[in-house]
Amino acid sequence: MNADHTDTRDAHLDLEDLIAGAAGQPVVGRAREHLAGCGECQREASRWNLVADGVSGLADAAPPASQPARPRRTGRPGLSRPWRRALLVTGSVAAALVLLVGGGELAGVVHVHVGQGGGGTDLTAVTGCSQLQQAGGTLEQIHGSSLVIKTASGRPVTVTTTATTFVSQSGNLLGQLTDGASVRVRGPRSGGAIQAALVTIGQPFSAVNPEGPAPVQGTVADASQTGFTLVTPRGARERVTTSGDTLVVVAHARLGQLQAGTAIFALGQAGPDGTLAARAVAAISQPPSGKHLRVSVRDCSTSSIEAAIGRISVAPVSAG
Amino acid sequence: VNDPHRGRGAATFSAGHDPARDDAGLLRRIGQGDDDAMAAFYAEHGRVVFAQVLLVTGERSLTEEIVQDTMLAVWRGADAFRGASSVRSWVIAIARRQTRDRLRGRRLRVVDDTYLADQPDSGPGPEAMALDRAELAEVMGAIRQLALAHREVLGLAFGSGLSLSEVAGVLELPVGTVKTRLTAARTALNGILEQKGQNR
Repeated sequence: MNADHTDTRDAHLDLEDLIAGAAGQPVVGRAREHLAGCGECQREASRWNLVADGVSGLADAAPPASQPARPRRTGRPGLSRPWRRALLVTGSVAAALVLLVGGGELAGVVHVHVGQGGGGTDLTAVTGCSQLQQAGGTLEQIHGSSLVIKTASGRPVTVTTTATTFVSQSGNLLGQLTDGASVRVRGPRSGGAIQAALVTIGQPFSAVNPEGPAPVQGTVADASQTGFTLVTPRGARERVTTSGDTLVVVAHARLGQLQAGTAIFALGQAGPDGTLAARAVAAISQPPSGKHLRVSVRDCSTSSIEAAIGRISVAPVSAG
Repeated sequence: VNDPHRGRGAATFSAGHDPARDDAGLLRRIGQGDDDAMAAFYAEHGRVVFAQVLLVTGERSLTEEIVQDTMLAVWRGADAFRGASSVRSWVIAIARRQTRDRLRGRRLRVVDDTYLADQPDSGPGPEAMALDRAELAEVMGAIRQLALAHREVLGLAFGSGLSLSEVAGVLELPVGTVKTRLTAARTALNGILEQKGQNR
């Protein structure tokens, strides 16, 4: 904090405090106390927050679309294979979830519909993008960068991933809500606390935007089994309660985080031997019971695919 | 506060996840030729690097090439990482050098607008009012119109998950100069928004 100003008892927040706050880091101690009572600093913080939101908005609006930087040549031996590797492992449990991809009837919009029954082959064409196939079922095994899905037909499908495969994970993943996590919380307020219905961890993706209360962004502090304190970029602290109904979405998960037995959905290009080279994967540990998901995609773009995955991730609280 | 992975745009993944330790481990594995580690590294940092480079270049195809070259440099140079900085700032610094080289080859200015970029803030005034009235979409559009050095410093400060001292390290500038540039960037942003408001 900087030197005293003539019209305030405490020093105003300095630029470093404001930048840190706008960058999502908690404002603590005297700075937080000062911010709570200083209108000038609150206005300054709000301006910087808007600038930061603008930068984040530009980043969200232009996700990387192409194949990642696969090393093209190297003097190091042993990199003759690509990052994408196919590993065929047999499965055992019938899929509980059937996910069908339908037509993209509304430009710029991705829909997920929940319906009864349904079924399909192991890999199903995706209407609206002839390059894409989809597979859904139960995650049986993860091996390196590949995973095996048991489809509704009972047959295993091997899904290969690369560095740019978009992987999301959703469910009652309260253990992921640890101190320092950057989150967006949605839910009704009651008794001075937010009753979390949906918590998104990490960078949100566009489709995680269901109807309902506007999200509150911040950082997790004092995490416990019943909730946590949300520290907003402006330094405000709000109590958030969680329960068995709270849906947690890890927007950019790692394959290693996924659990066997989870309902899973993958979009990608069909490869040899019935494998699927995934562009996106969604793991859902709380799928809508006894239902199947029907997804409409706009086009083959990465943003459309990620939007579809986002919709699937929040299907337990938004599909209907 | 200085944890580069706690800020906006940095995902926190799981209980017990230690980004610094994981990143160092990934680089060690990359140095041993583990392409799965390279994939994991890209998953951890690729998105942020892409966004930063795109903010600077404004060209998607060029950005993809630069990110590709950056990741190739990581693959080749993982052994050279000594932990003097965070892995995030290290890879962003690599991307910045790649960007500079590419833009220099296209006869575009990268860092020679430093003088203009670091002009001091004129202080509170009508510009601040413009920012107070602005919608997010307007701010995003105005950021695109900023000078390269301003876009760059805003992206590093708010989109890369770096601390201010790490931003200074990437830009090879004193922290004080980074603060000045940030303030100047916001002033310029306010000016663009004010101009747009007058043209409505």
